[in-house]
Amino acid sequence: MTFLQPWVLAALPLIGLPLIIHLINQRRFQTVPWAATMFLAAAKALSSGYSRLRHWLIMLLRMLAVAGVILAVGRPLSRGWLALAGGARPDTAVVILDRSPSMQARDPAAPGTKLATGRRQLADSLETLAPSRCLYVGGGDRPVEIPPAALDDLPAAGPAAAAADIPGMLQTAYDHIRENAAGTAEVWICSDGRANDWAIEEGGWAGLRDAFAKLPQQVRFQLLAFDEPVPGNLAVRVTEARLERRAGTRELLVSVAVSRSDAAGAAGGDEPETVPIRFEIDGVTTVVDLKLAGRETILANHPLPLGRGEAVRGWGRVSIPADPCEADNDFYFVFDEPAPRVTMVVADEAAVERVLRLIASIPPSKELAARGELVPASGLATAPWDEAAALLWQGPLPAGRDAELVEAFLARGGQVIFFPPEAGGGTTFAGVSWGEWLDFSEPQQPEQWRPDADLLANTVAGNALPVGELEVRRVRGLNGEVVPLASLPDGSPLLTRLPDGRGVYFCTTLPRPQDSTLAREGIVLYALVQRAIDRGLEPLAGARQVAAGPEASFLIAGEQGDSRWQRVAGASEPVSTEAGLHAGIYARKGRLVAVNRPLAEDAAGILATERIDGLFRGLSYTRITGQAGQSDSIVQEIWRAFLIAMLLALVGEGLLSLPRRRMTPRPSAVPLEAAA
Amino acid sequence: MFSDRQPREFLEPAVLARLAGVPLLSRRPMVGNVSGRHASPHRGSSVEFAEYRKYVPGDDLRRLDWRAFGRSDRFYVKEYEADTNLRLCLVLDTSGSMGYGSTSPAAGSSQPLTKIAYARRICGTLAYLASQQGDAVGVSCAAEEIVRTLPPRRSPAHLRLVFDVLEEARPQGTTGLPEVLHELAETVRQRALVVVVSDLFVPTEELAGAFGHLKFRRHDVAVFHLLDPQEIGFQFQRPTRFLDLEGGGAIFADPVEIADRYHAAVTAYLEAIRQLVLESGIDYHRVLTDEPYEQVLARFLVGRAAGRGLR
Repeated sequence: MTFLQPWVLAALPLIGLPLIIHLINQRRFQTVPWAATMFLAAAKALSSGYSRLRHWLIMLLRMLAVAGVILAVGRPLSRGWLALAGGARPDTAVVILDRSPSMQARDPAAPGTKLATGRRQLADSLETLAPSRCLYVGGGDRPVEIPPAALDDLPAAGPAAAAADIPGMLQTAYDHIRENAAGTAEVWICSDGRANDWAIEEGGWAGLRDAFAKLPQQVRFQLLAFDEPVPGNLAVRVTEARLERRAGTRELLVSVAVSRSDAAGAAGGDEPETVPIRFEIDGVTTVVDLKLAGRETILANHPLPLGRGEAVRGWGRVSIPADPCEADNDFYFVFDEPAPRVTMVVADEAAVERVLRLIASIPPSKELAARGELVPASGLATAPWDEAAALLWQGPLPAGRDAELVEAFLARGGQVIFFPPEAGGGTTFAGVSWGEWLDFSEPQQPEQWRPDADLLANTVAGNALPVGELEVRRVRGLNGEVVPLASLPDGSPLLTRLPDGRGVYFCTTLPRPQDSTLAREGIVLYALVQRAIDRGLEPLAGARQVAAGPEASFLIAGEQGDSRWQRVAGASEPVSTEAGLHAGIYARKGRLVAVNRPLAEDAAGILATERIDGLFRGLSYTRITGQAGQSDSIVQEIWRAFLIAMLLALVGEGLLSLPRRRMTPRPSAVPLEAAA
Repeated sequence: MFSDRQPREFLEPAVLARLAGVPLLSRRPMVGNVSGRHASPHRGSSVEFAEYRKYVPGDDLRRLDWRAFGRSDRFYVKEYEADTNLRLCLVLDTSGSMGYGSTSPAAGSSQPLTKIAYARRICGTLAYLASQQGDAVGVSCAAEEIVRTLPPRRSPAHLRLVFDVLEEARPQGTTGLPEVLHELAETVRQRALVVVVSDLFVPTEELAGAFGHLKFRRHDVAVFHLLDPQEIGFQFQRPTRFLDLEGGGAIFADPVEIADRYHAAVTAYLEAIRQLVLESGIDYHRVLTDEPYEQVLARFLVGRAAGRGLR
């Protein structure tokens, strides 16, 4: 239990006052010589049980009355019957809000979303607690100081389309608490416990927990958890929007996935549920009924005619009817003619250059144009950096001016795959340099690779790339910090990437017969090169889909002045400085970007209570279960309850102390001379 | 009469003078060795006619009723009641409980009037009155057993000894009154007026046996049941530690808390005493020590005088 005036609790020993007074009274007895002890003994024997109980009850009630007064003066706070935690008024309160789309779910029977309920309850609680400082961590680098009541109306605390980065926000809170040497701090987290928001599989939690534990000041964590599942919620998503020309007309083939939050419908009722899918392009609306089957239902390549106009670039929206969570009922998409797939090839070895240029020149679809540009090492300055999507580099790592060009290319969103030089290679790029060649006596086959993400991920159909069928005879070692994507049995990496997230990959062998079967079993090499080209094309495309979050913020907020991105469609909330966190269509100089919620928002489940609780093991932590639409405040002053308890105790004490009704008349009324 | 001694504290000449006008009579015929004021089971020469009896040879011819012979032509002897003296056996309870007193004594004394002091006055006055009318007086002090005893005698010197015993009696020890009464019933052979002065703080069933024993031995039993008003009222306010005057230890109690049950216990006890009195037919007097003993004795004496002839 929290007290606003905890110093009053120092008076709690006064609870023993009635006991002390009782003991003093016991010591003040009178001693009387007595003759009629036979009556006294009989009376004592009759009364001892109830009398003793009554005495103890009176004593207990008096002590309760004193305790009630002291506790009431201490201004106790209730944090819900299931979450009574110790602590006093904090010096600093830090609010961390999970504003992800899933927090916009609501209870059909009550008004208000989880986020709105959490904001209001936090605002009420913080107003009651009245900390010296109230800080809001909204995902930025630094917390913002706000008055507690403002939390309910703060635009930066409103709903967002991006996933919440709970560990990142906690890190921000930690940095602030540590740097400002604040006194007692209380970190309030409001979240629905989705796995993607908490990212507990990533390794930073243990360090974060240890860091908080080592802080000199006391830090308490209060988790307001809205982790109730949302039954009957549907989420719509566009998986692909592709243009096709047929008989002189253009069609947009849109693939839509509708997923549901529970398996109720998937269990199979007699009548499958039908959901109207509403497509909206240039003000034209089309509705298609989709029968749901299972947890996810896909409407593949639904054709939408675009007419014969020249303009091909555009955007649209797919929506489904309202359900418990409105944030996942819309999805924006953009479409455009695909950009030419230009790949720059820099190679020392002619055999390697041939293979790489061939692979880069073969488009994945006949309707696409692909070109592999051979760039001599001396002609890098005149290379088509602006139109290339990827750079395949076989030779010593770039240095000097060349490195600057490559860095600029990477910053624009280009992708680079480095292959080892046959000799030399003492240069370093991004902290990585080539090591020595390692020859294997027997061909080695990769045993481990990442099939879930990046260049070696499984295909859309779920099939794995035949990475394990490759044979490698020679690899060149790497010095520096890299993330392996595929490894040989002896631990040598075959394909790695830089850990900073930029598109820099290192393939440690060459596509030559004496080195590996990368060229002969060309599927793997073709797939990873084409995927790199796809990624590199995204910044070049006139229309682009990005997930709401830091990447979208960086993209949209990156250019200022006249060339700022303008929001052309989106939800009703005003555009804020956090444009990349809100779903919608953004346009700049004819280019379009569709920002939508991340895929993980539709797929991630809710973490079990014990898993989240485990993240705070060893810290002062309280979990309060909230419910969307709940009107109760989670922190209330309850001194009235203690006063009422005190009054009840006093009334009970009074009743017990009343002299009992005289049942037996005084013996003096008995005739004295019975036998006279 | 007692010129060689200081006046006894428990004797008040004024009271003695006022009570001397009422005789101390027995409710039962007494067997005495001298003529006195009490009825005797034997025929005697008093003026009170008793009965006619057929003449048998050897009877004194002076006692023939010639008038009856004239009417019936038969010889009848006229018999009269015999009056004799009595033996007054005073039984004074000297157990520790008799040392309790809460009532204010007569003006001039700071000590409360204890039950034994009250009992001394009753016993002393009765002894004096009995002695004055020629009856033999004896006294037994009873605690757990007979502490001291004087057999009934008629001489004035013996009366002084009785007073000495009363004066020296001190309350101590536990109560063994029933056993003492049983012992007296066995040792006092001739009929006597046994006057018990006690608080009777013993089980009533034991008392019933003792009184029955005395009645069986044809004794006239009178009981002065002394009770202090505080023992009845139990009017204490503060938590109190009660020290047993008979050495039974201490009892700590809140009087306010237990008063009801105490009164219930006292009422039950008094009711049991009442039943005992009704069943045994003893001459019972419940006495609160705040009542003047003169009134008590006057009521006692007058009651006996009024009941004269009840046999």
